[in-house]
Amino acid sequence: MSRSRALIVVALVVVFVVVGGVLIYANTRGGGPKNVTFDLTVTRGESMTPSNLKARHNDTITINVKSDQEGEVHLHEYDIAFETRPGETVSHTFKADKTCTCEIEWEATSHELGTLEVSP
Amino acid sequence: MLSSQILLHGFGQRFDLQVPLYLYLFAACGVVFLSFVLVVLFAGDTSGSAGISYPRRPVPWLTRVARTPWPRVIGGAVGVSGLLIVVVAGFFGSSVAFDNPAEYVVWIYFWAVTVILSGLVGNLWYLLNPWAAIHDVVARFVPRRAPLKLPRVGVWPAVVTYFAFACLELTSGMASRPQIVAVAVVAYTVITLAGMFLFGRDEWLEHCEAFTVLFGIVGRFGPVEAERDDRGAIREVYLRPWGVGLLQPAPSGWDRVVFVILMLSTLAFDGITATPAWQDFIVVLEPWWEPFGPLGFFVGRTFGLILLTVTFLLVFVAFMEGVMYLGQARVDAKVTVTAFALTLVPIALVYNAAHNYTYMVVYAQYAVPLLNDPLQKGWHLWPAVASFKPSFALAQASTVWYAQIVLIVLGHIVAVLLSHLRAGSVFKSAQRALLSQYPMLLLMVMYTFTSLWILAQPITRES
Repeated sequence: MSRSRALIVVALVVVFVVVGGVLIYANTRGGGPKNVTFDLTVTRGESMTPSNLKARHNDTITINVKSDQEGEVHLHEYDIAFETRPGETVSHTFKADKTCTCEIEWEATSHELGTLEVSP
Repeated sequence: MLSSQILLHGFGQRFDLQVPLYLYLFAACGVVFLSFVLVVLFAGDTSGSAGISYPRRPVPWLTRVARTPWPRVIGGAVGVSGLLIVVVAGFFGSSVAFDNPAEYVVWIYFWAVTVILSGLVGNLWYLLNPWAAIHDVVARFVPRRAPLKLPRVGVWPAVVTYFAFACLELTSGMASRPQIVAVAVVAYTVITLAGMFLFGRDEWLEHCEAFTVLFGIVGRFGPVEAERDDRGAIREVYLRPWGVGLLQPAPSGWDRVVFVILMLSTLAFDGITATPAWQDFIVVLEPWWEPFGPLGFFVGRTFGLILLTVTFLLVFVAFMEGVMYLGQARVDAKVTVTAFALTLVPIALVYNAAHNYTYMVVYAQYAVPLLNDPLQKGWHLWPAVASFKPSFALAQASTVWYAQIVLIVLGHIVAVLLSHLRAGSVFKSAQRALLSQYPMLLLMVMYTFTSLWILAQPITRES
């Protein structure tokens, strides 16, 4: 392929890369950080309601966990442990500084209770 | 339902967010548009046969370094250390994958990082291969000739070994059990060392050792090219553009075609098993496999992997028939099919990099705190790193998505270019060469779309 044709390909790739960057930038800026709160109820270390939590990057998230059993509810990636006791509510507040589909587990059995999705 | 104790990937759970729909559509349109532009530009080529000669530049300092024994000594020492870590930590360390260095060395540092670096730089396995290093040290003190001659088996033994490795990683459900990984590594070490001593080092490595064959192919994509004389000594080291090494003359045969297709299908399988479509498929088959427990799980998944590989192979062969029909030249089908199979390697490599991106930039860091107490025995070898928290700086979803779509589109373009140059060298008339490219282009678009589709799927888990 001649030099001029190779240049056309390079130019088009550059356009693709730039437009892709602009698209992502434009679509991932939400309306600024918010405060979000989730009230979770864990039953027998097996299920959690609600189970799919959604937030945006840089939101301040408060999670309140209420469980009918003693044990640890673990939020992976953020590495936050909720040490629960029957009848008590355990709370943690943190800044959503990582994007992820973070698993929420009943630590003793590694059973997945749900996920926290932090999107950009 | 199956116990969630059987972890599915070699390692931990993934946490990346799927590529959003708008980006998926943008990348897909980009792929189609750029492919179209490339075809229009190719149409102006009068003769393609000179195409496979590519520019390369000698690098005197690299040649000097390569001629010394040091790269092999250092690489071999790193490789043997890695092997020892896997065996010792695998047998004596924690049984939890996340806390065992063996899992990190095998699935992240070896399987994800070394493959991708070899594509970026050149065949690193040539330097790191621990079994070759052990053989060379022993052979230095006890020189002996191989007592047996390897029959003409092509690389079929390597195909079988690679398939077995893929089963360990993807279908056995055992990849996250360090003891089992260590047993597999010891068994493979014994087989490889015995093979090298019985049949000759290079004979065994080049035909039966799956990773030597694999990295040989991956290394062709890399920019470092070492030219050797008849005795295997380095004559000169060159730098070349990425990808063009795949156009170099290569041994041909169906064994090599199957190997390349297996590279594509195992990678795709790893991604596909995390998609909702696969979950539905598994649920439909549940009445058959569930009564057999883990064995049913293994057989079901292995069946899925074989099915996918055969599908990939049949699709590839069918498209190659189209290429040869439209090229209208009398060509050796085996040689042509092998040559074109290699042009798919860029697509496999970029998908591998996109797929394993978060493993490399985040999970790789989780090994650092383990340095304090690698076997989980309560040691304090390096207390400073015990509280190390991995940085997610490179794993923000927007960065990941950007890297993924750019990589996939670049890989696609390189593959289309290579395939075009290859067609120019196989089919004599430029017009025929161009015509023959339509099926190949369609096939590449299909593969690239599959890669993008997998990345755009929400990650689900079998539970």
